[in-house]
Amino acid sequence: MKRVTKMIVSTLLAASLAVGLSACGNSSGTNSSSGGKNNNTAPKEEKITLSFWGISTAEPEKSEMEKIIKEWNDNNPNIQIEYSGTENNAYKTKIKTAIAAGEAPDIMYSWTGGFAQPFVEAGKILNLDEYLTDETKDQMLPGALDNITYDGKVYGITYGQMAGALYVNTELFDQYQVKIPTTFSELMTAVDTFNQNGVKPMITGMKDLWPGMWIYDMIALRESGSQLSLDALNGKASFTDPAFVNAADKIQQLVNAGAFGNGILGMTQDEAEAEFNQGKVAMLFGGNWMASKMESDSSMVKGKIKAVRFPASEDGKGDPTEYVGGGSDAMLVSADTKYKEQAVKAATYLAKAQAEQGYLSGINLPTWKYDSLDQSQINPLAKEIMDNIITGAVGSVPVWDIYLNGADAKTHQDLVAEVFANQITPEQFGAQMQDKVNGN
Amino acid sequence: MQKLLGDKKAIFLFVFPTFLVFTIIIILPIFFSGYYSLLEWDGFSNGKFIGFGNYVDLFVNNTDGFTKGVKNSIVLAIVSVGIQLPLSLLLALILARGVKFEKLYRTVYFIPVIISTVVIGQLWMKIYHPNYGMLNIILNKIGLGFLANEWLGNTQTALGAVFVALLWQYVGYHMLLMYASAKSISTEIYEAAKIDGANEPTLALKITIPLMKPILRVCVVFSVIGSFKAFDLIYVLTNGGPLHATEVPTTIMYTSIFAKYQYGYGSAMAIFIIVECLVATVIIQRMFGKDPVN
Repeated sequence: MKRVTKMIVSTLLAASLAVGLSACGNSSGTNSSSGGKNNNTAPKEEKITLSFWGISTAEPEKSEMEKIIKEWNDNNPNIQIEYSGTENNAYKTKIKTAIAAGEAPDIMYSWTGGFAQPFVEAGKILNLDEYLTDETKDQMLPGALDNITYDGKVYGITYGQMAGALYVNTELFDQYQVKIPTTFSELMTAVDTFNQNGVKPMITGMKDLWPGMWIYDMIALRESGSQLSLDALNGKASFTDPAFVNAADKIQQLVNAGAFGNGILGMTQDEAEAEFNQGKVAMLFGGNWMASKMESDSSMVKGKIKAVRFPASEDGKGDPTEYVGGGSDAMLVSADTKYKEQAVKAATYLAKAQAEQGYLSGINLPTWKYDSLDQSQINPLAKEIMDNIITGAVGSVPVWDIYLNGADAKTHQDLVAEVFANQITPEQFGAQMQDKVNGN
Repeated sequence: MQKLLGDKKAIFLFVFPTFLVFTIIIILPIFFSGYYSLLEWDGFSNGKFIGFGNYVDLFVNNTDGFTKGVKNSIVLAIVSVGIQLPLSLLLALILARGVKFEKLYRTVYFIPVIISTVVIGQLWMKIYHPNYGMLNIILNKIGLGFLANEWLGNTQTALGAVFVALLWQYVGYHMLLMYASAKSISTEIYEAAKIDGANEPTLALKITIPLMKPILRVCVVFSVIGSFKAFDLIYVLTNGGPLHATEVPTTIMYTSIFAKYQYGYGSAMAIFIIVECLVATVIIQRMFGKDPVN
């Protein structure tokens, strides 16, 4: 008897150990996150509190967010915003779990495109069409709401947009008398020249997968043009089109020419940026937000970096002004909120304030009109991106992992990583993209 | 004591609160997971019941390398039992027989268990770093520069590199369990054996290890289950990469649920891991046979 009991106890113990882990996958049943609790009180004319979740946890974003919220709370004593910030990657998990459990906050940060799509399709996000006035829309840049519009209905208010830029270290370019590349063959020449002089030509943090994908999506845009890229992403064109195969081929040309040096698969983007900011690397292709670190006081390349358009493809169909990016950061309002009108009003304020604040500090490019801002206070690199890359562009395509939905986005990232590692040929890349992403 | 154990009310009173918590936090979610695993569900909208379709996808029509992940975790279990436990046993036996600074060593070996896994992950990432990592620098300094490698970024070496860190992390844990068990053996037995002319290796093999059998079994169970559900350190070190070289079932489960919105499919993996652990536990219990009469 005693032995049996012992065995049961130890088996249960083992089970509890085994389950400790899976519990994170099941948390919707027992999750008790703090959001949404404020909804319990009945709507009254009195003081209400709106919960707001975001991703501003690191400086300088955090204190800027606090400033923005304090200003609202001081001006609206009856509608208080209560902010809770979670680190970027953890936030993705947190918001999905909370929405699944019906515990979403009143106002939440979200990426646009494929990330928010399942929430919208599940009916968890408030449709803003009847709340947004023309007056509000007039303050925004054209196309600002495109990426948060599903089936012709607007579900969020964007405030920041992304743009890919080629950051070049002008000091190194001057030292070795290299021309800043405007075509792909000039880029290859630059890569060779830097390699001959023992300088790392480019760097990317492939451990995080998305940085390499940014480079691929950019080259693919040069090869295909924005219309063909969007058609393929929408399933109206095939990824086996020569444009997408050529783009993968160009990635491998760069890799085989030693453009990224050795050791790209194990490096995070943070490490890659750190190396670039120490002035050891000639070029970095990445998002506009990287500018704020490059221009910070601790950066050794401050003032030496120029942001330029990615080189054009000689044989590509894309216009050399097109860029990857587009409206990407948005404020959403939960469909379950008790205070719909107030929440939309607060979300609009938050979006506008963050658009301005983000542009001034170089974290974000605004989707709101920014003429009223003091131009001299804007991060110079961010201004360069806005003036040299976005202004005058004939089109843009969101980076594909934002456009595609969950599993497809991951497939795309994985396949690009395999291209970088020379594990699949460009033709296989095109065929597998078509098969796995557009095939179902 | 006898009276207390006979009192059903007392037993109920003591066991019930824990039982309740255990049921709500552990048992119920397992059943929920079991149900979810039969759905095709993205976590938000209404799920579609597809029977055992997810399990078929896991093992028959698998496309995301789950079977390879299972293989990796089994390899990890084998090296844990084959390398980690013997190491822990050796350390425990030496420490328990009394060496100078016994307490200091005991504490030092136990430190990795106390440190947060994320910190350990960062530590090993720095050790393995291709440019300024300690490992490559040492290899270069002692003339073995040709062995220097991009340890975590190379698909050939990443799995091994992660395993070393994992084994290192828990050597101290098993050592402490074994050490405590070895220490509790009465010294009289050793004295008697010594009079009969037994030397240290004989003492260890004939007396200490047989008497430690119950704790050895616990260690093997912990070690195997720990390998099957290893997640955090792998997540920090490689997140399953590069190119899926270091995927284990848990990392694939995490990506499926949180990156691909495949809640039902991910739940099927969770259920598989639970079943795998239970089966392994039962088999190990059987293999060790009965407890020595005590």
